[in-house]
Amino acid sequence: MLGKKPLTVLEKIRENLERLNEKMEVIIEIQKNGGQRAAPALPDASLDVMTLLSMPDHLRKTAMIICRLGRATAEEIAEQTNRARAVESAYLNQLVIMGYVKKERKGRKAYFYIDRENQS
Amino acid sequence: MNKIIAVHSYKGGTGKTLLSVNLAATLAKKGKKVCVFDLDFRAPSLFAILKAENAGCWFNDYLNNTCEINQVLIDLSSRISGSGKFFAGLANPSTEAIRDMSSKDRKWEMRALGRLLSLKKSLLDEQGFDYLFFDTSPGLQYSSINAIVAADLVVVTTTGDRSDVDGTKRMLDELYSLFEKKTGLVLNKVLDSSATARKAEMSNKVKTNYHVPMLGLVPCFCEVLRAEGNYIFAQDKPDHPFTKILNEMAGKIENNQIS
Repeated sequence: MLGKKPLTVLEKIRENLERLNEKMEVIIEIQKNGGQRAAPALPDASLDVMTLLSMPDHLRKTAMIICRLGRATAEEIAEQTNRARAVESAYLNQLVIMGYVKKERKGRKAYFYIDRENQS
Repeated sequence: MNKIIAVHSYKGGTGKTLLSVNLAATLAKKGKKVCVFDLDFRAPSLFAILKAENAGCWFNDYLNNTCEINQVLIDLSSRISGSGKFFAGLANPSTEAIRDMSSKDRKWEMRALGRLLSLKKSLLDEQGFDYLFFDTSPGLQYSSINAIVAADLVVVTTTGDRSDVDGTKRMLDELYSLFEKKTGLVLNKVLDSSATARKAEMSNKVKTNYHVPMLGLVPCFCEVLRAEGNYIFAQDKPDHPFTKILNEMAGKIENNQIS
């Protein structure tokens, strides 16, 4: 019979895979930029509506939802876009690299948010 | 749910303010708690239409983060019959304020979008408002696109004028499709008197031409023009055909029947 322990272990593995996935995303992004870490469009790029308009479709969809929610996990975004959580996670991490979205970890969960107030 | 409704158009003079005020008033008459906001900061007009005194703070001040939303709201419920509530938030009509609003940078616009989005929590969730209407500036203005992004439903008004038709089409195809917003088109000031009888046909035409559903068809009523913005038709002229059309549109918004 499966106790709680194997589940916890699986959770842990999933969590680690997710982190690994995020790191891969960063590496892929760096490679795309010729080995240079992608610099944000601006020192702290603002996710305003005109920026949203100029984004590629797949990123705009994610950015629109984070814009409306203010703060969310990849899972919450995926619920609204009907795309896979891993896909949203990848797009969100791209937005983080571009400087439009900020990310923080709380326990097991990664939260993505728009820092509207701290941008001068 | 269609709780936050932006009313927008490509050209000016298509009837955005008239429609915003009257749709809001129609829903208030049905017992809803409604607020209409003037987001046309380049040419504010809601204060004149409603002949309302400023509440002490303008909607500009709320977006500038120098006051709270309740300092902006003006209670005009006494102008509407029934138990509903009708509020307004006005844009500052002074030249100084118009100049100030037209020189905002991207960062400000981004924060303004945040302030618009937070009305959902402060007014809908916490204060029990049923509907918020954003009466916007025509064309591709920052403030208007902010309103579109913050809205659940966008009502686009258009007339049969050549100068308006092509631009509206392009705006819907190239701008609205990017945001994937639920949109309803209102054909306003329709001159063809037989159009009302051919509503189904007109609705199909709208879908083919504009690729969005038709929310309503409003014939050109001389009485509406003659009123010179002095009436809230939904309240002051309950038996007028325009009021009946407003009721139909409000019903579609309430029951989410825009398709």
